[in-house]
Amino acid sequence: MQSYALKAQTVSLDLSGKWKFQTDVMDFRRGSLSPRYNHVLQEEIQLPGITDDKQIGYKVPYQYIDRLTRKYEYMGPAWYQRDIEIPAAWKGKKIFIYFERTHWLSSIYVDTKEVSSIDYISVPHNHDLTNFVKPGKTHRITICIDNRFQYKTHKWNHAHTEFTQINWNGILGEMKLMAIDPVYVEDLQVYPNIANKSIKVRLQVNNETKKQFKGKASFTIAGTNYNLKNEVAVVSNDSVTFVEANIPLGKNAKLWDEFNPNVYQIKAQLNISDGKTNYQHEKATTFGLREVKQGKNHVVINNRPVHLRGNVENAVFPKTGYAPVDNASWERIMLLIKDYGMNHLRFHSWCPPKAAFRMADKHGIYFEVEMPMWGKDAEPDEDRYNFFRREMRAILKEYGNHPSFVLYCNGNEITGNFDFIEELTADAIKLDPRHLFSGSTARTRVKSDQYYVSQQTNKGPVKVYEGLPNTDWDRSMESDVDVPVISHESGQRCVYPNFEEIKKYANSPVEARNFEVFRDMLQKNGMLDQANDFFRASGALTVLEYKAVIEALLRSSKSAGFQLLSINDFPGQGYAPVGVLDPFWDSKGLVTPEKFREFCAPTVALLRYEKSSYFNNETFTGKAEVYNFSNAAIKNAKLKWWLTDANGKVLQKGNLKSQNIANDNVSPVGEFSIALKNVAVSQKLTVHFSVNDKIKNSWDIWVYPEHENLMKSNSDVLYTHVYDDAAKKQLAQGKSVVLYPAPENVKGRKSMFHNHFWNPIMFAWAPMTIGNLVHNEQPVFKDFTTSYHTDWQWWDILNNAKVIEMQNTPEKLRPFIQVIDSYDNNQKLGIGFEAKVNGGKLLVLAVDTKTDLDKRPATQQLLYSIDNYVKSDKFSPQVQVEETFIQSFLTK
Amino acid sequence: MVRKIVLGLLTLAGQTLSAQEIVFNQKAALEQVYKKPVEADGLLSMNDLNVEFGYVLYQSEITTQSDSEELELENVRDYAAVYVDGILQGRVTDNHKKITIKTNPGKYLLQIYVENIGRITYGPEITDNAKGLFGGITLDGNDLKQWKMIPLNVKKYPIKDLVFEDRKDTESPGFYKGEFELNTSRSNYLDITGWGMGEVWVNQKYVGSYWEEEKQRSILIPSADLVQGKNEIVVFELKNNQQKTMKLSQTPVFK
Repeated sequence: MQSYALKAQTVSLDLSGKWKFQTDVMDFRRGSLSPRYNHVLQEEIQLPGITDDKQIGYKVPYQYIDRLTRKYEYMGPAWYQRDIEIPAAWKGKKIFIYFERTHWLSSIYVDTKEVSSIDYISVPHNHDLTNFVKPGKTHRITICIDNRFQYKTHKWNHAHTEFTQINWNGILGEMKLMAIDPVYVEDLQVYPNIANKSIKVRLQVNNETKKQFKGKASFTIAGTNYNLKNEVAVVSNDSVTFVEANIPLGKNAKLWDEFNPNVYQIKAQLNISDGKTNYQHEKATTFGLREVKQGKNHVVINNRPVHLRGNVENAVFPKTGYAPVDNASWERIMLLIKDYGMNHLRFHSWCPPKAAFRMADKHGIYFEVEMPMWGKDAEPDEDRYNFFRREMRAILKEYGNHPSFVLYCNGNEITGNFDFIEELTADAIKLDPRHLFSGSTARTRVKSDQYYVSQQTNKGPVKVYEGLPNTDWDRSMESDVDVPVISHESGQRCVYPNFEEIKKYANSPVEARNFEVFRDMLQKNGMLDQANDFFRASGALTVLEYKAVIEALLRSSKSAGFQLLSINDFPGQGYAPVGVLDPFWDSKGLVTPEKFREFCAPTVALLRYEKSSYFNNETFTGKAEVYNFSNAAIKNAKLKWWLTDANGKVLQKGNLKSQNIANDNVSPVGEFSIALKNVAVSQKLTVHFSVNDKIKNSWDIWVYPEHENLMKSNSDVLYTHVYDDAAKKQLAQGKSVVLYPAPENVKGRKSMFHNHFWNPIMFAWAPMTIGNLVHNEQPVFKDFTTSYHTDWQWWDILNNAKVIEMQNTPEKLRPFIQVIDSYDNNQKLGIGFEAKVNGGKLLVLAVDTKTDLDKRPATQQLLYSIDNYVKSDKFSPQVQVEETFIQSFLTK
Repeated sequence: MVRKIVLGLLTLAGQTLSAQEIVFNQKAALEQVYKKPVEADGLLSMNDLNVEFGYVLYQSEITTQSDSEELELENVRDYAAVYVDGILQGRVTDNHKKITIKTNPGKYLLQIYVENIGRITYGPEITDNAKGLFGGITLDGNDLKQWKMIPLNVKKYPIKDLVFEDRKDTESPGFYKGEFELNTSRSNYLDITGWGMGEVWVNQKYVGSYWEEEKQRSILIPSADLVQGKNEIVVFELKNNQQKTMKLSQTPVFK
C-alpha cells in the first residue's frame, strides 16, 4: 500500500503535444455565457507554442510603419484542454501543473471548476491542483491563457510588448504535471561567501502532513573535477520550516566571473519520515562562487572592479515572436556578446527565461534584469503596485541563484511615486544580498540605489550618443557620484534599412512590411538601385560612431560601464535599425567581430588627440592610454605606435616606455608626436597603437596642404554665390559655373555629420538624414581622398552645409555628395551636384566656404579638388536640368 | 544587514566630525552672464536660439488688470521659475503649466528663467525635442508678445571673473559665494537641502547641479577638488534665493 513512499520522488508527466483549443473573442467567462470549460473544445493546437504558430487571430491587412507587422494578431483569452488521467500511484502526493512561461494570466479549470490563477510575467506558473484532482481518475483539465493586459502597465514594456517580441498567447518551454511528496523543498537558495569559500544553503521545507517530521537534508555539490557531499539533520512540526546549512567548499573551489565562469550544481535531497511514512524530495540549482559589491565607481565582483561593456536587450525575437526558452538560442546570443568584446546585457523592462541565465552563467555575462515597468507605471495604482511587489519577489526567488544575475533594476525611465520605487528597492536589498539594486534607470535617484544607469547624473551627461573628430574627452567627472554609474542607452545611430532582410521573415509570425513600404517609395523615387549603397554608407558611419562612442566611455575611468543601444536592431518605436546586427542577431556585414574588439574588449588601446584633420605643417600629438579590465595586469608591456599611409606602408614609428599596466583601470602610458610635414604622401593616414603586439587599435587622420587662391574665376569658369545674370550668361555661352550659395540662402534641411538619432519616425526632428553617400569614384574627388561613406574628415564640410531637395530632377542625376534621406521619406537629396544647364556646365556646392576657412583643412581640400576638376576637361555633366530647379532651392 | 550598520556609523561620524555650515554672504548679479539677447514677437525655443542645454531668460512687459491673473504656458521644457518685477511667483514644468500672478494692476516686467536639462524623454507623449518655451504664453487669456530672450552663460562663464558683492536681500536669481575650512581633503557631500534649483562650483571647478524635486539632496565633492584650509564655493540658484547656508556631510543625503 505504502510502497510508493519508499522510492518517492518528483514524478512528472510531460504535457507537451496536442491540446484541444478554442479562441475566445467574446470573453465567455465575463460574459456569463456558457464557459468553454464546460464543453469539449473542437479545435486543436500544438503545445508548447503560441497562437501565431497556427495562424490564429486577425489576419492583419495593414503594413505597420513603426514596427514589424504581426501576421495574425490575437489578444484575448484562449482555451486549451486535455483529459488527463491522474496516476493512481500519486495518491497522497502534492500535484502541480507547471508552465515554464506564459503570457500572462493562466487559469486552471479542473472539470467545471476554476481552481487556480497566476499572473506572473517573468517566472514560471506552478499551479497547485492537489485538492482538486483525484489520483486514478481522469479529469478534464482546461487552461485559459489570457494575454490581455492584466494591469495598466506601459504598452512598451518589453515583457509584454507587441512591438519587439509580440504580445503572444500560449505556453512555452517545459509544461508538465508533477507529483511531489507532501513534505518537500519549496525553495533552495545558495548564498556564496567568497572569503572562506563556503556557501550558505537555505531550504524552505513545506510540510503538509500536519505531523512532526524528522530526517536529513543531503547536499551534493558538483562542478568540473569537483564533488562534495554534506548533510544536516532536519526536524520540525511546522508547515513551513527554513533549514540553513553552511557548507565549506574547500580551497579547490573556484570563483565565478566573466573570465572564469565556474558553475556548480547543488542538489538538495530531503529524506525524512513522520514515523510512519518516509518522504523524499529533491531540488537542484546551479550557482557560482561570486560576490557582488557596490564599489566607489564600479560594480565590484569578487573584490575586483569590473567595467561593464554591455548591450541593451529589448526582447527582440522576430524569428519566434517570443523570447526563446531553449539553451541553444541563448548560447548563441551569449557567444555573440563575447565575440563583440562585451560582458554585459541589460534586459530593458523585462526579465529573460531561465535558459538565458544558464547560458550567461556558462559564458560569464553579467545581467541586469528588470520588471515590466516603464514611464508612468509608478503612478499610484494599488493593483499595479501589488503586481510589481509580487513580481520583484518572484524574480529574486526564481533566478537569484544564478551568478550571472548581478544587477536588478525595477524598470526603465520610471515616473510617478518614488516612495514606491524606494520601497521596492529597499525591500529587494533586504531579500537578496547577491545582487546590486537600483530604483529606476535614468530618472529620479532613490536612497537605496546601489548603482545608477542614466543619461546624466547631477554632475552632467554620462550618455554618449555620438562621436567627435577629437578624442581628448571622457565622462569621468560626470560619472563620479555616490554610486557606480552606467552610461544609459548610448549609441543609437540609425542605419538605412537593408531591404534584403525582408525575405528573412517568411517563416516568422511577423513581417517587415514597413520595409516593403520604404522600398516601394525608394523605387517610386527612382533610387531603388541605391538601396544597398545607402545601407552600406550609413552603416559604415554607424560603425565609426560606435567606435568613437565606446572609446569615449572606455576612457571614462570613473564610469562603471555602458549599455549600447544597440548592437542589434530594434524593430519597434518607429523601427530603429541602429545595430551592426539585424533583429535576428545576424551580422549586417558592416564590421567584423575582430575589428569591433579593437575598440570593445577587456583590454583596449586608446588614444587621445585633438582633431582628425590637419594641415601638413602641423604636428599630431597622441596621448596613449590603456583600458585594462582583463583579469591580469600587463607586465613590462611593449607599447608601439606607428603611422601608415593608405596602402599600409609604415611612414613613422616609435615606442613608448615599456611599463607595467595595471588591470581594473584606465592608465595613461605616454605621449608621442608626429610632425606631419613631409610625412604625408597621401591624405589619409592611420595612427596605430599596440600593446605587446596583441592589443591593437587605430585611428584615421587626414593631412592636407594649405590652399590659397581657392575659388578663383577665370575665363572658362565662373565662381559665384548667386545665380544671377552673369551666371546665366556664362552658362548660355556653354561655359562653366560653380555656384556656392551661402547655406542660409539654400532652402532645405541643415546638414549634419551624424546620422539620425534612434530613428526618424519616432523622433521626427533634425537632421532627418541617415548619413551621406559619396560618389567617390567620380573625378570631382580626384584630389580629395574619400571613401563611399563619410568619415571624420567630412566633419567640417557637413556641419557647415545645407541639404538641397533634388527629387524634382531627372532620375539619372545623382549628386556627388548625396544625402541619405529618412527612409519614410526617401527623397533625393544632395549637398553637391553637377548638371548641364542652359547649354553650360554647372556645379553646385551648398557648403559654407567662408566661416573660419583657415581652420578647415578638409573643406579647403575639397574646394581644391573641385577647382582642379571644373578647370579640367573631365568636367562634363551628363544630365540636363532646368533653370527653374536651380531657382527652386535658392531663397534669392 | 552588515551594510546598514556600517552606514549608520558613518552617518554618525559625519555629523559629529564635519557637519559644518557654509554661509553664503556674497552675491554676483546674473546680468554678468547674459549673452546676446534675441528679440522677437513670439517665443523662440532654445533650439531656435541655438542653446543646446542650459538656461535662457525669457522676458516681456506685462500689464495686469486685476490683483490675481493666470499665466498659462503652452510648452515648458524642462523647468522654469517665474518672476514679476524680481518677485518669485513660482515654478512651472511641462506637467504644471499654469501659475497665478499676484500684483496690483499695472505694468511689470515678467521674467521666466528656463532650464533645459538636456535629456531626451522617450515616450509617445513627446514627439519633438524642442526645449525652452515655445508655442504661446497667455496672461488672463491674452497672448503675450514682444519677447526678449537672453541665453545665460551659467555653465561656461569663468567663475573667477564673476564680480561678487555683499549680499542684499533680493529674490532674484544669481550666484552666491561662501567659504569653508577643511582639515583634511577627503571627499564630502554638499547638502543642498532647502535650495531650489541650480549649479555648484568648488574652488572654481564645476561639481554638479541640484533640484529640489529630486530625492537626492547632495552633490559629491571629490577630494581632488578640495584643499586643506580655505575652500571657496559658488552656487547658482534659480528659485529659492532666500537660502543662506549649506552643509557638508560625509554621506549622501536623500529625502
